[in-house]
Amino acid sequence: MFDAIVSNRFRVASIAARILTACVGGYAAAAALTTLLARALPIDRTEATSWGLLLSFPAYAALALWAFAAARPGRVAAIIWVSAAASAVALYLLGIRP
Amino acid sequence: MASIHGWFGLCTGWILFVMFATGTAAFFRYEISQWMMPEANVAPASRLQAAETAVRYLSRTAPHADSWTILLPDDRLPFTRVFAQAAPKPGQMRMMSHEDVVLDPVSGEAIPVRATRGGDFFYWAHFELQLPNLWGRWVAGLCAMALLGALVSGVITHKRLFSDFFTLRWSKGQRSWLDAHIVTSVLALPFHVVITYSGLVTLMTLYMPFAMSANYVQPTNFMERLYARAVIGPASGRAAPLPPLAPLFAQAAARWEGHAPGRVVIGRPGDEAATVTLARSDRELVTARIPLLRFTRDGRITGTDYPPGAGTSSAGVLRGIHMGRFANPVLRWMYIGLSIVGTAMVATGMLLWVVARRRPKSAPTRSQRLAERVNVAVIGGFPSGVAALFLANRLLPIEMPSRAAAELWMLAAAWASAAAVPFTVPAKRAWPTVWAAAAFLYAAVPIANALTTDRGLVASLAAGDWAFAGFDATMILIAACAATGARLTAKIGAKPAPQRRAARTRPEPAVDA
Repeated sequence: MFDAIVSNRFRVASIAARILTACVGGYAAAAALTTLLARALPIDRTEATSWGLLLSFPAYAALALWAFAAARPGRVAAIIWVSAAASAVALYLLGIRP
Repeated sequence: MASIHGWFGLCTGWILFVMFATGTAAFFRYEISQWMMPEANVAPASRLQAAETAVRYLSRTAPHADSWTILLPDDRLPFTRVFAQAAPKPGQMRMMSHEDVVLDPVSGEAIPVRATRGGDFFYWAHFELQLPNLWGRWVAGLCAMALLGALVSGVITHKRLFSDFFTLRWSKGQRSWLDAHIVTSVLALPFHVVITYSGLVTLMTLYMPFAMSANYVQPTNFMERLYARAVIGPASGRAAPLPPLAPLFAQAAARWEGHAPGRVVIGRPGDEAATVTLARSDRELVTARIPLLRFTRDGRITGTDYPPGAGTSSAGVLRGIHMGRFANPVLRWMYIGLSIVGTAMVATGMLLWVVARRRPKSAPTRSQRLAERVNVAVIGGFPSGVAALFLANRLLPIEMPSRAAAELWMLAAAWASAAAVPFTVPAKRAWPTVWAAAAFLYAAVPIANALTTDRGLVASLAAGDWAFAGFDATMILIAACAATGARLTAKIGAKPAPQRRAARTRPEPAVDA
């Protein structure tokens, strides 16, 4: 009986984790990565910002679908959350474009 | 992938249906506005004359406003629309007003039109969902993002894309719904992907503002370059008369192949530091990033517009593709046809979701029943609400307070009544009832038009008034489709479930008890 409860809870938790990684983590990673791109692209400031914005949606879709579809949720979650965090840190260190 | 597609679709499908339906209607925004303001039967005037008379009106009614916006008439909307605005709060962008005053372009007088949101209701509802502040835009954005994910996952799920595209199996229950969903999705797949992505791009500064904050201390600087907004400088405090518009229009025509501007924005009217910004008509170029010409009060061109590079131009073109304002009538009808296919894609997806989960031997679960009922309430109910909006436009007393809001309340009331049907009548009768109600309401619209105005279908056909005639004809067409739907769903409900071969085990469409 406990096996059923534990495995059910485990399944719900793992689905919830996937949803969180895909929807929230995907948004964070897509936003952070494309913002980093916009910040770092050595082209005109306005154009770099436009490109960063334009690419953010395909990036989000790709990351979210990958998070749902990947066989190993732990690996995907790690990659998505770490890249989001790393990009955010990099952006903080870079500061606003002078 | 298939279950992601299904869940994305289920969570957002009902809202997406409303977004597609209002978006389809928004392609006809100006014609609907014409129909909903039948008093505004005006003679055509040149855009310069319309601008000059509008300035006279605004000088009288809003002499101390921070800015005047004059939307000049064109062949789709023959009257002038104006609104005056106060200065936006610091750091905020000037937003387009939801309400404007309708002026006769010849005389500059306000036409006593009935208070109504007109076709603009569909435009705003499409991405604001009638919610306050920015909440509607966020909900719409989430649904659009989910749709983008659903489109990609749908293509991945559907590996046999092209062979199955030519498969249409009628009267086979779930298989038929699946085929209908696939056909509507694949038939217009490029449209669906582009319209979804371009819709997100249209509001991208809201959904992903971070790149702006990383590159700009003041993000509005970027938005002014992205959108080519009229920049209104600080007031000098000294009064001065307004500049004449004719020489400014002439300068614009010299640059814009003889075309007159589509919009005039006057900043700080009556002040010495007044600026006049002429915007090119959005009918002439695909890009929504419309070229501007800014003039000082003495008619000098001031401040060169930022020449957009590839990124900013692409964003402008995508926005323009989404709104389709550049489209000539043939192309606009294609847009609408594809948009209807998109609406059908969402609707068949929602119907498929319910049908696919029916099990032949067991009764539907409570959540399956709820999903089916909400399907009826939204897919069958919202169209009835829109018909009620048009009926209210004709039938509500002209001189009633808050009339524009009252029309929307009629839409809500009709939708709520239709939504109550699947929860109160037996399941077999739910669909036929809502479709029959929709047919009745839509058929009543041209009748109400003919009885309460002098611009009924016969009169408008005789006068060559294609906006009015087309609107009434479309109402009749929708009524006919709804009536057909009522008949078909009544017949299907009465038939026993079709026999399936036992070789493939798939759930049969059970007749809901």
